[in-house]
Amino acid sequence: MFLVFILAGMLFSCQKKEKVNILKIGLPEEPKSLNVWLGTDTNSRKILSQIYQPLFTRDPKTLEIIPWLAKENPVFDKEKLTYTVKLREAKWSDGSEFTSEDVLFTKKIFFDFKIPRHYSQWKAIKKLVTIDKHTLVFYLEKPSAIFLSRVLTAPIVSKKEWGKIAADALKSEKPLRYLQNHSPEKHLGTGPFTLFEYRKGAYLHMKRNPHFFGTGKTIANHLLGPYVDSLLFKIYGTNDIAMLALKKGDIDMYWWDIQPGYIKDLKNDSNIQLFFNKKSALYYMGFNLRKPPFNDKALRQAIATAIDKEFILTRILQNYGTPMHSIVPSGNIFWSNPNVRKYGEGLIPYSHIKEAYKILKDAGYTWEIEPWDVAGNIVEAKGLKLPSGILMDKFVILTPPADYDPKRAFSGVMIQEWLRKLGMQAFARPMAFNSLLETVKGKHNFDAFILGYGGLNLDPDYLRTFFLSENDKPNGWNMSGYKNPFFDKLAQQQKSIVDDKERRKVIWEMQKILMEDVPYIPLYNPHIIEAVSKKEFKGWVEQVNGIGSIWSLCVVKPKN
Amino acid sequence: MRIKKYIFNKVIEITIIFFIILTILFFLFRLSPGTPISKMVDPTFTLEDQNLLIEQLGLDKPALEQYFIYLKNFCTGNLGFSFHYGEPVSKIILERLPWTILLFTTSTILAAFVGVMLGKIAAWKKGSAIDNFLSISALISHTLFIPWFALLILWFLGFKVGWFPLGGTLSPEIWITEPSLFVKLLDLIHHMFLPLMTLFFIHVGSYLLLMRSSMLGVLKEDYIITAKAKGLTEKSIRNKHAAKNAALPVITSVGLSLAFSINGGALTEQIFTWPGIGRELIFAVSNNDYPLAQACFLLIAGVVLVANLIVDLLYAYMDPRITY
Repeated sequence: MFLVFILAGMLFSCQKKEKVNILKIGLPEEPKSLNVWLGTDTNSRKILSQIYQPLFTRDPKTLEIIPWLAKENPVFDKEKLTYTVKLREAKWSDGSEFTSEDVLFTKKIFFDFKIPRHYSQWKAIKKLVTIDKHTLVFYLEKPSAIFLSRVLTAPIVSKKEWGKIAADALKSEKPLRYLQNHSPEKHLGTGPFTLFEYRKGAYLHMKRNPHFFGTGKTIANHLLGPYVDSLLFKIYGTNDIAMLALKKGDIDMYWWDIQPGYIKDLKNDSNIQLFFNKKSALYYMGFNLRKPPFNDKALRQAIATAIDKEFILTRILQNYGTPMHSIVPSGNIFWSNPNVRKYGEGLIPYSHIKEAYKILKDAGYTWEIEPWDVAGNIVEAKGLKLPSGILMDKFVILTPPADYDPKRAFSGVMIQEWLRKLGMQAFARPMAFNSLLETVKGKHNFDAFILGYGGLNLDPDYLRTFFLSENDKPNGWNMSGYKNPFFDKLAQQQKSIVDDKERRKVIWEMQKILMEDVPYIPLYNPHIIEAVSKKEFKGWVEQVNGIGSIWSLCVVKPKN
Repeated sequence: MRIKKYIFNKVIEITIIFFIILTILFFLFRLSPGTPISKMVDPTFTLEDQNLLIEQLGLDKPALEQYFIYLKNFCTGNLGFSFHYGEPVSKIILERLPWTILLFTTSTILAAFVGVMLGKIAAWKKGSAIDNFLSISALISHTLFIPWFALLILWFLGFKVGWFPLGGTLSPEIWITEPSLFVKLLDLIHHMFLPLMTLFFIHVGSYLLLMRSSMLGVLKEDYIITAKAKGLTEKSIRNKHAAKNAALPVITSVGLSLAFSINGGALTEQIFTWPGIGRELIFAVSNNDYPLAQACFLLIAGVVLVANLIVDLLYAYMDPRITY
């Protein structure tokens, strides 16, 4: 019996070698849903982004917005507040023609169902008119800075695929839920691949779309294929097994951010190639500015200074990342302001505490036992008193648990230790992620917390979302309760500046204000680490957020 | 007649317990922190979006109203739609359950059968080298840490030697070529071997030890001495007189293990990427997917309650001294 299994295995291994033009990709989890209106999780998006395409996308190198399903850059009419968009000659995966009617239909879906994430962006459109089969005019209520980056980058769906479902859904009691609960049998897309077979719990098979508009065209300096016949997505329950599968040759790529602990082993394997790229992510410490003592800017600045970001980078991130000094990640080269106030940069551990002590002392804080003795030696500080003379209470830094994110959990513990050196009674407390979010975002019942965003949009409008005064409400995005009228004014102003260079000046100013007021202390930005097998394929496209993108899948080629 | 009355009373009792469990589960999930959309930490997901989704999921209504809607739907066989997958809960369970039954029920039966056989031998040869070897092996097997053992097996037999696949239920490269049923079956068995072996090794020890201790108790009984005095063969005394009576506690254990086996094992399923109900249950609970999590727990509760009844009835069949 045992021999039969082994023989079967050997037989299968032989069969596998015949199919070299199938790109085998490992995924950490199954996609939640292949319904484009429900499948918003990372793994579903990996599949759906190969099928449904936007009008515009980002150049992988420059990160500028470039035409994708659109033929050329849009023409903006300042007087009429219109954008005229010309479409490419493209086809849906069933061979039918892609026209401006499909864009119009997509807009109708966004509006009729108030599709989460899209409707809030598209409602800036007053009117959408089709001039001909390949020309559209978007009429706006007012100028919108995010029109290109957030509105025109939404996926366009086919009227043929969704028309009847949408009509039925509108007649139902809960239209959006009806639409989201629909299981598409045949996806119609304009992307490089189409879904061929999905065997739940086992694999997902995509085939090259023969009607892909990009085939043979050079876009963003890449001559697009796809050059592989099909994609085969396999699911692996743990990263350990996925790594073994990659080394064994069961998969050509593992589409997931690898933990630094695997790197040494993977580097020793000559068949494995590793990629390290910057991530559009923000990991930060936030305060509750609604109550004392964290409503004191000096205290927040002192805490920011006491944190040794270099230590976090070298010891916790094992040097695979960068310390963050602004809310906009440095990888977002156009929007990130490099000239913000950088707390504790270049200081040695001893100096962090010294500088933080100075800030507190200048602001009127006192100690029962100061962190320095008369000889200038560091000592265990005790009893930090607020400028009012009241003893500072103990406080809690909420973090996700170590099994959810060890980096954030361990950063919390380290910050606790540094703050204790300043005489603060800080306690890092891991909390289940759901509870943590409910406490911080829903109830606002906290002192400080460490959270992060792993996939920030490259447009920095989130600065407005995170810190606008009016977003300080239960479940609103202004979790710290930051209120600054001048910042609010800038945040609203930048929304309507269409000229990117002009807008950047405001965005930079906003970052400067935030780093002066420090409602959040940006901590670190880990690199995205990805691994591929060098045996069969080459030509991966590196960009911010890694090689796992439609660009790589359109460009990667078999070696032979 | 008395047994019929017993079954009738027991069914009523089970139904009441089941509805108590359903009610507790329903409110327990609503009291747990967060909502099904708590984890959507995307700044483009506005407060209006959140409120719309909560309304569409029917979570904006008072908990009691939600409960009566759920109860009404449940009684009509409607378990609702999963919040996360957007698919009927019954469909998801029917997709996952066969995989769990296939792996966990097979391993439980296999481990119980071998465990009982070896336990019988160990007890019969108490104090011998065989008994020592079997008892120590059973203790090791009983205390094995599943993830460690599973990873070790996968690393050695799946990666280092390469005889077996690294998890999953089938080889996509083969299935996309539309092979014959025989090849598919062979492929499935090939994938099932390592998880089955892991579960077998982990469970066989406990059955062996249980059978051994039960058998040792029975061997001291007077009727065994009488059987020996009558000059019956060793095989006959061991298998017909001792083992049959000693197997009673093992039957309870196997019955309940079989019932709980539909719960699967989240860790085993996760490591072997086995698409069973255990992984789904953990996922549903951690993501506040109330309809799916409730249905999974209710399924387990229902099966365990029914299994208890069956075990009770089996007792009466196995031991004529037990009457109802």
